[in-house]
Amino acid sequence: NSPAPLPERAIYGFALFLGSWFGFILYLIWAYVPETWLFSLGLTYWPQKYWAVALPAYLLVAVGIGYVLLFGINMMSTAPLNSTRTITDNYAKKQQHKKFQEEAIPALRDVPISEVNRMFFLPEK
Amino acid sequence: MEGERPYLSASGAPLSLRRRQHSASCRELAVRCPRLQLRSLSAATSAVWLAAYGLFALCQNSMVLSAAIFLTLAGLIIYLHFVKIDQESLLVIGSLGIQVTSSYASGKESTTFIEMSRVKDVVINEAVHMQKVIYYLCILLQDPQDPEGVSEVVPLFQSSKPRLDCLIEVYKSCQEILDQRKTAPQSS
Repeated sequence: NSPAPLPERAIYGFALFLGSWFGFILYLIWAYVPETWLFSLGLTYWPQKYWAVALPAYLLVAVGIGYVLLFGINMMSTAPLNSTRTITDNYAKKQQHKKFQEEAIPALRDVPISEVNRMFFLPEK
Repeated sequence: MEGERPYLSASGAPLSLRRRQHSASCRELAVRCPRLQLRSLSAATSAVWLAAYGLFALCQNSMVLSAAIFLTLAGLIIYLHFVKIDQESLLVIGSLGIQVTSSYASGKESTTFIEMSRVKDVVINEAVHMQKVIYYLCILLQDPQDPEGVSEVVPLFQSSKPRLDCLIEVYKSCQEILDQRKTAPQSS
């Protein structure tokens, strides 16, 4: 799964490039060419030109609201000050205690908050 | 030991901590919040009255002015009685429990008592609060049937929010009392 360039990725990239140019030219034709000319070509069932202006406007407003929405979702999922999620969680509650071995690096574990507090705040300097 | 020291709250307002030792196993720690400033009170009142006068200039209805005066008075009374906390205190009695008292600016006091068998520990925890990380003191409660787990967290000093130096003082005082219940013989 490396990000190195591959022949398949070059082909996908070029196909996307051509596709996006085609889509853009089609959008410009839809927005600017008068309806009578399109009707004379036989293209009668295209959407109203109103949407050629409305859709970009909707998109930009949605992006702006998305910033506010993301901020709000972040604030809502922050744990309140009185919840036990600020102290522990399921993985910490179910952790196994490995035995202490001499000359070995101690196993990784969640230290209880009472121990941490004692170590930080109680010794006299 | 008696004494008052000056400290700061998390937002920079000056606080004072008062410690009193009533006996060998009973201590009271009180944090006094900054008083209601005259300039913020005048600013709020002037803003409301200016807005009311502007509205009166638009609609020429004098009820707007009387409503503004009534709103200001009612808002001030509600703020002093329900919102503005004057002092928060913690009374730790070694064999009995912990009592948390908040006194409001209007004189109202609300207390909560937690008995010692439910108290697991008093710790300083850090958490994310309103786009900041703050230190706050909290009481960890345990279920009597399950002494290893934390069933509930009770945050203390919520409206004064003292900084870490003040919290360390309160923490050390509480730990001295809580240590006594380990050395004292267990009575069930």
